[in-house]
Amino acid sequence: MAVGDRDPRGGKAARAAGEAAGSRLAPLAPGDLTAPIVVPNTLWQATNPLAYDGGRPTEITHLREFGQTEAGRRDDLRWGALQIVPTKADYILDLIRANSLWPLLSGLACCAFEMMSGATSKFDMDRWGMFPFRASPRQSDVLIVAGTLTTKMSGPLLRLWEQMPEPKWCVALGDCTVSGGRYKRSYSTVQGIDRIMPVDVYIPGCPPRPEGLIYGMLQLGQLVKDRRGHWDEREIGPTVPDKI
Amino acid sequence: MPTRQRATQPDGATQPDGATQPAHAARTSQAARASQAATAKAQRQRPPEQYRSDDDPRIMLDREVGADLFEPIPPYPVRTEREAEFYTRGDGEMFLNVGPHHPATHGVLRLVLKLSGEQVVDVDPVLGYLHRGVEKICENSDYYHVIDQVDPLEYVSSLFQEWAAVLAFEQLMDVEVPPRAEYIRVLTSELLRVSSHTLFMGFLALDLGGLAPILYSFIERDEIVEMLAALTGARMLFNYFRIGGVNGDLNHEFLSRLGDWMSRAAKQTEANTGLLNENEIFVRRARGVGILDREMALRFGVTGGNLRASGVPFDVRRAHPYSVYPQLDFNVPTRLEGDSLARYLIRMDEVRESIRIIDQCLHNMPDGPVMAKLPRLLRPRPGRAWGAVEGPRGMLGVYAISDGSDQPFRFRIHDPSFLNLAVVPYLLPGNLLADTMAIVSSLDPVLGGIDK
Repeated sequence: MAVGDRDPRGGKAARAAGEAAGSRLAPLAPGDLTAPIVVPNTLWQATNPLAYDGGRPTEITHLREFGQTEAGRRDDLRWGALQIVPTKADYILDLIRANSLWPLLSGLACCAFEMMSGATSKFDMDRWGMFPFRASPRQSDVLIVAGTLTTKMSGPLLRLWEQMPEPKWCVALGDCTVSGGRYKRSYSTVQGIDRIMPVDVYIPGCPPRPEGLIYGMLQLGQLVKDRRGHWDEREIGPTVPDKI
Repeated sequence: MPTRQRATQPDGATQPDGATQPAHAARTSQAARASQAATAKAQRQRPPEQYRSDDDPRIMLDREVGADLFEPIPPYPVRTEREAEFYTRGDGEMFLNVGPHHPATHGVLRLVLKLSGEQVVDVDPVLGYLHRGVEKICENSDYYHVIDQVDPLEYVSSLFQEWAAVLAFEQLMDVEVPPRAEYIRVLTSELLRVSSHTLFMGFLALDLGGLAPILYSFIERDEIVEMLAALTGARMLFNYFRIGGVNGDLNHEFLSRLGDWMSRAAKQTEANTGLLNENEIFVRRARGVGILDREMALRFGVTGGNLRASGVPFDVRRAHPYSVYPQLDFNVPTRLEGDSLARYLIRMDEVRESIRIIDQCLHNMPDGPVMAKLPRLLRPRPGRAWGAVEGPRGMLGVYAISDGSDQPFRFRIHDPSFLNLAVVPYLLPGNLLADTMAIVSSLDPVLGGIDK
């Protein structure tokens, strides 16, 4: 089921019933708004088949399926045969990571300005070690999804998330990324980014103040400390259950 | 015609036994993978070429192997002749994809550049990464709710969209706005214009490699949005204008913050512009780059500072006066150069004019109510109305059609950024790759408005 296949207004029968009743909005069939949005990763493919450890199996088109396979749990990229090491080492390393969270500079919409405002003169997130907004996903720890995520942008954003090296965390900034917010009934937005990727911290607000972002990042630091040594047990796919 | 050859061709070509296998078979086969690794390693260890010549057959071979790196993938099967022409790579040309995630594209703009060496040959902007269906949502909302829904379009200057929508609705409903409300609208909007233009200065400098101006820009912006938050309760999406007035009178905290800011605004503007006006690197990178001539600007419907930088003194506040602008004294700064530097200088001049307007508003502010007397349920007569304001990026208009119900039948948003961005395919070719961002950024696009 591709992105465009999803009918946001219910099936034909539902639409006919709505027109007969004379309402302006066709009634929704149950589960229409909450159908999983499947984003096949077909826009970018590795030219070199050896890249990305041979690529992942092509039949997996959704992070949720990827999370159910064992492929996502493998850590031999970093540690090879010594996979026993990270559990103990991460117990210490996560204490360091928690105090130096490097976000990815990825602004999507309005909230990006509040994120930049939090990073510049007045609020200065650098005081908590969150400053170096990296432009490359390969150099960053935290993906702050700032702004409305549309279905067209969800493929590139998922690609960014996959390009970030583990351990990585995701912060949903703003109502649009938490639940859809004011675009809950729009035909072109993703109603909450936890439908396509795991989310660690939700920051509501439209847009949240920069203090909200800083508080959320501090909470994320605490979360990293709480989960230390266990980052490979986290969700890889979306955190929203399938049938919600 | 470009096809998706990159997935199959290299795999088949590098099979050692000559058998051509499909890509997915090669990917899963361990033996094929190992042999490919050996081939790739042998290619890497080839001695470097001593010279480069187009006649050398080895070089041509090398180019064809490496060409897969630069083969573009069209976002969809090509549909028009223009796309087919664009995605056909000529001799010595390569493609570079900029965006949608790129720190210098002001949001989620995607530019596919066709390069010949360092020079841009052609460009294909891909839009729609922030299309949120605002127009459709507005058509399913009450007239009250539309004002909130248009806020996130140009999110750095939200009040202007509210103003355009409110202007159109007031024409539909024959509402007379009290003069104090008009002055408050002018005052808050001009504050936001200062904020938007100051941010423009910071981002333009950031795209050209200077980090310091954006820190000063955000000081100004935070001052302004904090005082507007004291007035409206929100920092970005204000939802402040109402049909027939504004939501709430000026309060003490707003006025005291505004007084503090006004006492140093003019001086601070000079200091901020001094960061860039006298910076030799900035001036030499912005001057003479991306020259937009008068005819092209008029043909493409460019408005705002971009048009005034090309020598056309068009300003909606002066050409089609609305609100209390006829009673205010301000200039329309115009320049003749039409390059990136002129577009920057025009906006800095507009900041000075805006500060003058704010000063006049504070001195001429009449007393009285801030809302007209209105019925609780708004049902305009059937008809159509066009309301346009001069936003920070140009003429921002709203075309509303009413069918007599409490929701607009059609709600069309005319966004200036979209038309300003339309000249990019004509400005970029011939320029260097490094100047791309100097040009796109000087047009000051905001993707929320472009994609709606």
